[in-house]
Amino acid sequence: MIARDRNWLLIFAACVALAIIYPFFVGGYQLTVIRDALIFGLFAASLDFFWGRTGILCFGHAAFFGIGGYIMALITLNDAISFASLLGIIGAVAGAALVSAIIGYFLFFGGIRGSYFTIVMLAMGVICQQAAVSWSSVTGGDSGLIGIPPIAFDVGGLHVDLSQDLPSYIFVSAIVAVTVLALWSISRGRWGTVLTAIQDNEVRAAALGHNAPLRLLVTFVLSAAIAGLAGALYVCMAGLVAPDLSGLLLSTEVIVWVAVGGRGTLLGPVLGAIFIQRAQQTISSFNPSLWPLLLGCVFVIIVFVLPDGILSIYARLKALFKGGRRAQ
Amino acid sequence: MPPKACSPACANVSPVRPDAMDFVITTLLNALTLISILMLVGLGLAISFGLMNVTNLAHGEFVTVGAFAVYFVQSMGGSFWLGLAAAPIAGAVIGCILEFAIIRHLYSRPVSTVLATWGVSLILQQGLELIFGLGAKPVTPPIEGTLDLFFTVYPAYRLILIGIAMLTLLGVILLISRTSFGLDIRTVIQNREMAEGVGINTRRTYAIAFTFGAAIAGLAGGLVAPLAIVLPQMGVNYLANAFFVVIVGGVGSIGGLVAGSVFVGGLTSILNYQISPSLAQAVVLLAAIVAVRLRPNGLFNGASR
Repeated sequence: MIARDRNWLLIFAACVALAIIYPFFVGGYQLTVIRDALIFGLFAASLDFFWGRTGILCFGHAAFFGIGGYIMALITLNDAISFASLLGIIGAVAGAALVSAIIGYFLFFGGIRGSYFTIVMLAMGVICQQAAVSWSSVTGGDSGLIGIPPIAFDVGGLHVDLSQDLPSYIFVSAIVAVTVLALWSISRGRWGTVLTAIQDNEVRAAALGHNAPLRLLVTFVLSAAIAGLAGALYVCMAGLVAPDLSGLLLSTEVIVWVAVGGRGTLLGPVLGAIFIQRAQQTISSFNPSLWPLLLGCVFVIIVFVLPDGILSIYARLKALFKGGRRAQ
Repeated sequence: MPPKACSPACANVSPVRPDAMDFVITTLLNALTLISILMLVGLGLAISFGLMNVTNLAHGEFVTVGAFAVYFVQSMGGSFWLGLAAAPIAGAVIGCILEFAIIRHLYSRPVSTVLATWGVSLILQQGLELIFGLGAKPVTPPIEGTLDLFFTVYPAYRLILIGIAMLTLLGVILLISRTSFGLDIRTVIQNREMAEGVGINTRRTYAIAFTFGAAIAGLAGGLVAPLAIVLPQMGVNYLANAFFVVIVGGVGSIGGLVAGSVFVGGLTSILNYQISPSLAQAVVLLAAIVAVRLRPNGLFNGASR
């Protein structure tokens, strides 16, 4: 096992341990805050899975979050459907995957990469939000849909009811932990290696027999499906869905979470999401219009000062001290 | 806080007389209005995105700044035409600062450019909101009323807008094809190293070209201000559409720019009659994606890079 992998697993285990002991110290409201932050963390990890491994930035990832959220809301709000929670989750994941597959097919097989892809996804995010606002007979327009029930289903005689704080926290943490671990094992294995090769030199990777567009497409669809799952979880926990969920601001914020947490680490974006949302709540309580301004500054600072995220401070300090020791 | 859904560039004018000829001419003029604006906004993008390989997500804010310049001059008691003169200057100033402070340091880091310019875009939006306050800003057109065009009656200001846009485009074509600066730009685009070798200051050429594109976008913002909803967040709609213009049309030629504008502007304008604006936007996006799949180098495949 390489040292980098061991470190990652150690940090992952530490995070899981922290998540397990956390409910013993806080309860109620604090628990729901961290639960919602974890859902956004899952969303950030889904973006990182694509962006971190392929180097292609998706600027409208909230579109998939929103699609998942709206599908979940529409299915669970329909009384005629039984097993609504499970069906809703499946529908949300499938819906996000389908939309991303259609768009991804045309883009990746059309040779669209890099900035072009970023722009098209940016436009798609704008359009999804507009569609959510204007298609009001289905989506409830500007005010969205309210009264979405919490997740509840039976698996093999076991009744799962997530209307309470603690069960929902455990459920969400478990999903986030399992998903992040799964994404990590995919991206460190052969699949991730080929993606890195495509990122470095697509022509050469293709010459070695790898179907580059197909690889990118599957990675993108997987990433979008997990974003849809996060959206579905979120609307059930929040109890409402609104056009903002597929909006440009959320798409922007998720990029900041990934960039601050460290692109390509999968765990960093989850932590970035939790910490930045905490900061956002504090700052927004002073002045709500201050947040986008600060967000803009964070973007510029990341690019010029911390291109590898907050975790890189540690690596840089280590390099600094190492360098100092060698000089003596 | 999130940008509210508003019409992409400007609403259509409904035909007045109920005959077919009137309908056709009005539709054409509506499309031409939108195409003119997209062409001006897309010009700056064609320079930065298409030629310099810089993805500038703050390009929409040049349009916003231009529109706010007109609003500001009018609210100070100045005329619309004074405001329209101030609009490209405002765009150029912001563009010049942006190039100098951020973009020139990131030419070799495309993803970083995306992030940094998006940050600048957010800062500019919130800055405008802090300075000018919430809500849409009123801008009155210099000429009210309509012009009788024999076949139909059309708002006079829109005709002026189309005229100014066409003149500007003509000016840009002449600048690029007939002046020594235009020759510099064409040289730098074709081969940067070679251009440096023959003594052209490529950094300066890039900076001037970028500022120039920002100025044209500012002018577009000033022109569209009386027709559009002037908000700090208005830029993103122009940004997305202008990028489509450049992507669909293909980079590297004025012909591509015109073809892309006609495709995006014409389709949007015609669809707006049939379906709701946001659905029309979605259809245009899908059409653009399919067009890119079929013609990866652009509809007007002139100078491919």
